[in-house]
Amino acid sequence: MASEVEDTLKRIQSYRGVIGTIVVNNEGIPIKSTLDNSTSVQYAGLIQQLADKARSVVRDLDPSNDLMFLRMRTKKHEIMVAPDKDFIMIVIQNPTEAQS
Amino acid sequence: MSDRKAELEKKKAKLQAIREQKERLRKEKEKKDGDEAISRGINVEKDQGKEIDEMLSSLGVAPVSDVLSSLTTSPNKSELYNSMSTPDSSVKGSLPQTPLTCPKLNKKNRELSIVSLSSTNIPPKEVECYTKAVQTTHSSNERDAQAFGYYDEYNLNPGLEWEDEFTVLTYDDGSGQAEDEDISLTNLSTFQSKLPPGILSQGLPQVKEVAPAVTSLERELNVKEEPKKIRELSEAEKMMIVHSEDFQQFMDRAGRVMERALSENVDIYTDYTGALDDNDLNEDKSSTRLSLTRVFHDEHWSKNRLVTSLDWSQQFPELTVASYNNSDAPHEPDGVVLVWNTKFKKNSPEYMFHCQSRVLSATFARFHPNLILGSTYSGQIVLWDNRAQKKTPIQRTPLSNTAHTHPVYCIQVVGTQNAHNLISISTDGRLCCWSLDMLTQPVERLDLTVKQSRPVSVSAFAFLHDDVNKFVFGSQEGAAYSACRHTKKAGVVESYESHIGPITAIDTHCVEGNTDFSNLFLTSSFDWTIKLWNIKESKPIHSFENNNDYVSGVAWSPVHPAVFAAIDINGHLDLWNLNNNTESPTASTVLDNSPLLKSLMWSQNGTHLSVGDEYGKISVFQVGEQMTQPRHDDWSKLSNTLQELKSNQTDEMDRCINYSSGSVSSVFSRSSSILMK
Repeated sequence: MASEVEDTLKRIQSYRGVIGTIVVNNEGIPIKSTLDNSTSVQYAGLIQQLADKARSVVRDLDPSNDLMFLRMRTKKHEIMVAPDKDFIMIVIQNPTEAQS
Repeated sequence: MSDRKAELEKKKAKLQAIREQKERLRKEKEKKDGDEAISRGINVEKDQGKEIDEMLSSLGVAPVSDVLSSLTTSPNKSELYNSMSTPDSSVKGSLPQTPLTCPKLNKKNRELSIVSLSSTNIPPKEVECYTKAVQTTHSSNERDAQAFGYYDEYNLNPGLEWEDEFTVLTYDDGSGQAEDEDISLTNLSTFQSKLPPGILSQGLPQVKEVAPAVTSLERELNVKEEPKKIRELSEAEKMMIVHSEDFQQFMDRAGRVMERALSENVDIYTDYTGALDDNDLNEDKSSTRLSLTRVFHDEHWSKNRLVTSLDWSQQFPELTVASYNNSDAPHEPDGVVLVWNTKFKKNSPEYMFHCQSRVLSATFARFHPNLILGSTYSGQIVLWDNRAQKKTPIQRTPLSNTAHTHPVYCIQVVGTQNAHNLISISTDGRLCCWSLDMLTQPVERLDLTVKQSRPVSVSAFAFLHDDVNKFVFGSQEGAAYSACRHTKKAGVVESYESHIGPITAIDTHCVEGNTDFSNLFLTSSFDWTIKLWNIKESKPIHSFENNNDYVSGVAWSPVHPAVFAAIDINGHLDLWNLNNNTESPTASTVLDNSPLLKSLMWSQNGTHLSVGDEYGKISVFQVGEQMTQPRHDDWSKLSNTLQELKSNQTDEMDRCINYSSGSVSSVFSRSSSILMK
């Protein structure tokens, strides 16, 4: 079963333009990462807070609603966040590279 | 005795002397307490002091003058005085009173010590102390400390006159003189009761306004502290999480979503004002009738496995299920079934299932979106569920003589939402009908036999359109048959013998229109031909002899009445339009490396063709518009075409009978039929 986790990460990583994949728990601690440690920890802590905030925004607007996916387009990257109950998956990719 | 008396007398006298001396000392001290600054007494008493000193020295005590001088010279004599002074005076000295400003109050305070405590916490008294003069000279600086200014109040309530204010001020003056706290409070309350209720309440929230500011500051501090708390998990803890069920499920879900998101990547910041892209290429593509759009391939699970069958889901038309044959790789399950998604451009299968035996055919259970059925080489029918986390079948039929014991190449779910069954036929000619709720034994059984109960080895079958009773099937002997499930003579009804090799595929016409063509069916065979039949005639309507190798599959278009597709084992994919040409395919393509093609499937809307090959690749082709959008006259055209084919057939038969005379007419009829199109 654990090999499937690795397979999934490998598959995602194999997409063109993908820079890194981080799996974070709900405390913002990285569990799996393809990036170096300090970058992972930084991304994990900040994105976890952002995802929490985004979720609370969505829920405040409509209590029956919930956050499913968060996609952030930045000048350099695109950060995609798939939040779940206990974990968050973060994928950072270079959209211009992925396009061409 | 007299001596003794005298001694007593002496002692008495001495005691008397000591008492006198003590009295003197006390008097001296009292005098010093009275006014220390004046040292006159000391000079006067010095003579007396000498006497005392002498007496003291005789008693062995230090002389009084020495003591006094030491007292006067000591720097902290005031402290000594205080310690020696009466308790009353010590209380007086320690009181933090302001006796100079109001001596009258001070007197009273001595009597009521409680008042001194209460005097510390009466802020209104500051207001009370103001005089008119002070108020006018001091600007609004001091008033800012108040909850509300008089002028504000005046502005808010123009109804209040100047006189009102003066009365307020006089009250304040009065309260300043008032000694009792209660009175001042009542004054305050009466003063406030004069104000409108709205203003009274305004004074209080000011305290509240301050409080949140403090808490928000604290919150900021908390937020700043939080990031520091992040610790790193140890390897063991990480492994614990990775192996947990929750994590596995999360990875399954999130990975799937993420892959879709990644594959659907469209740069929304495309700038069209920039340089021109190669859009011309796309236009060229659309003109061709068959263009490759997708390839489904999994390096691990589908590599070098022959794709044995394809099927699409009725609930989710974008899902395609493909079954795979065994591969040479050891330690891998023989049978594999993958579910692919044509909607998202991701390269991995949505679901993966496997079982111990080779899967010869797989299909979605038509009315259950989660179930996938597979028929195996061993004869078992297996059932997978994509809701279950396991990849092995959740149910399987038994291997007994009540069910199949031979390979099952044909399975199909027929019926309606409320009454449907799974039909399976094995190569020993046994047809089983199953209820999906109970796979332990078939609901009904039928042995398909021909010519004195010889079993037929069925290789392919197809039900007539919208019919759960009548079906056609092809055999490995080369003959095709039609059969019924429910009539009195259940079993084979008619045979169609023309092929000289095993039949690989059979398909019935399924496009509804103003003319009914549901009697038509197509067969493909190892004898390099495809034959078009009418179920009512034992001879084929037409034989398509364009292929140069075994024809491995044939399928009618689900939307166009005159279009069908065919594949052969040399990698050819042909698209025929009977209304266009009956001699050669309208569109044709050869796959790379000319692989053996085994399975062929149209998409639900007839726009795409999926082809599975021996290397485990599924190629999806887009079909040109002409083939996917039938015109309303295509049905009548097909009738005409069929008529012509029949006449050609009779011509050919005539030619066979009288070879010499018929040849010219048949050539003529063929050319005329071509000219007519």
